[in-house]
Amino acid sequence: MGETVTFRVHRYKQGDAAPHQDTFQVETEPRTTVLDALTAIRRTQDPSLTLRHSCFHASCGTCAMKVNGREVLACVTNVRELGTAEVVVEPLENAPLVSDLVVEMAPFFARYNAIDRPLVRESELVPGAQRAPGVERALRYEDCIECGICVSVCPIAGTDPDYLGPAALAAADRVREEPRGRDLPFVLSLADDPHGVWRCHAAFECTEACPSNVDPAGHIMQLRRALIGGRLRRLFAPRAEVGR
Amino acid sequence: MSERAVTPARQAPPRGRRRGVLGWLDVRGRRLGGWAFILNRVTGLGVLFYLYLHLIVLSQLAAGPSSWNALLNWFLNPIFLVLDVVLLAGLLIHGLNGIRLTLVEFGLVVSRQKALLLAFGTVGVIVLLIGALRFLSDVGAK
Amino acid sequence: MAGRADESGALSAPGERPVRWAPEERDTLPGVGWGWQAVTGALVLVLVTLHMIANHFVVKGGLRDYQEVIAYITNPVILPLETLFLVVVSWHGLLGLRAVIFDFGLSVRAERIVTRVLLGVWVVTVLYGLTLLAILVTHP
Repeated sequence: MGETVTFRVHRYKQGDAAPHQDTFQVETEPRTTVLDALTAIRRTQDPSLTLRHSCFHASCGTCAMKVNGREVLACVTNVRELGTAEVVVEPLENAPLVSDLVVEMAPFFARYNAIDRPLVRESELVPGAQRAPGVERALRYEDCIECGICVSVCPIAGTDPDYLGPAALAAADRVREEPRGRDLPFVLSLADDPHGVWRCHAAFECTEACPSNVDPAGHIMQLRRALIGGRLRRLFAPRAEVGR
Repeated sequence: MSERAVTPARQAPPRGRRRGVLGWLDVRGRRLGGWAFILNRVTGLGVLFYLYLHLIVLSQLAAGPSSWNALLNWFLNPIFLVLDVVLLAGLLIHGLNGIRLTLVEFGLVVSRQKALLLAFGTVGVIVLLIGALRFLSDVGAK
Repeated sequence: MAGRADESGALSAPGERPVRWAPEERDTLPGVGWGWQAVTGALVLVLVTLHMIANHFVVKGGLRDYQEVIAYITNPVILPLETLFLVVVSWHGLLGLRAVIFDFGLSVRAERIVTRVLLGVWVVTVLYGLTLLAILVTHP
């Protein structure tokens, strides 16, 4: 069942004049993922290939990268299903490059953590879902796995280094929906900025690319509507509470 | 540290890792909304360029009937009528996408934004075809 | 994953400078911003449709000759509409151009210069248009 697939992998080490691509031949099985192939390259061909990964099942959000020009989680991207004789692997865009396929996530988390949205939702996964005997309540985590794909595909993040970005803005809207004790006026003040929610141009690339159904663009538009509504209410009732 | 301090968060990443304006030309992996974004910018610039051309041409009106009417004959040349169709296409793309953006960005039509894009695309193509027939039937008129 | 935020929203990992989201304040003017682009866009949409239909669709041959232009522009309903069109479409267009220029990643200082220059271009455009309209309206 083995089938050899050519991988063209983006390479860059600190101090290199420019990035280049290395080519590797990898034996693949029908269920081989891009992450499997990259770890196989590390194991048998080039241990210096740097990549970031952890869980192998789309929960940790660390193996986001560009495969054949599209941002995906490498761990759940099947090589054969790509249907190309050659697979091009590149790091995410719109983030500082650290090494090979690894980008600096600090700017992402500086924005995301500024919003500081709680991790556990108030709402459950499916309100009427069946639970195991003895389980009274199911908790649901927020959908966002903090992978950075939304920022990589965003045309605004591509030109505005100050843009708050889809993930952080979606998180802000989740705080608006379920404040869970957070300082909502403060969160809204971060989002209500020329580099915040108003900077989005509604390309919806983030929503299309998100591997975890966060729908950042939809949240950004809901947040805009809420902020516009708040402004209109303040216009007609100046003492109305901020953002409510 | 002041609220608005400049910090490493706004440092530009190393070369090639921020798409930048030239990244607009990289269409790999771009989806429908991304195409709408880039087309909106390109048509906007194009229509603005036309606006100034148009304003400059209109100065010939101040020169009186003979120079204006001479110019008109020139503009009935098929090449200009084809360019008129291009202009109409630009106006339709920018205008219809503008309506879509306004509806979506005020948070009015968010969940159905893709359907809206396809609907406006269809309307645009139909109006463009009608306009093209209208313009090109003017070849040789007057 | 990664570090947690402290109260101020800064990300602190050991031995690392804190990174926080702190955009630079932009130079703004009244009438400059996304909401205005939508409002002027809506106006332009109505006015450009009228302009296109009146000038290029209902007219035989798709273009007005000199006499037809004079008759059109001296119409008491058309004149204020076309004047408004000039003012609004140039504002909308230059505001859009400004947004595209800003996407090249200028410094705040450069952005301020661009804003002032484009404001000047807009004033000149409107004055030019008004002059042209005045010439045509007062034409014998």
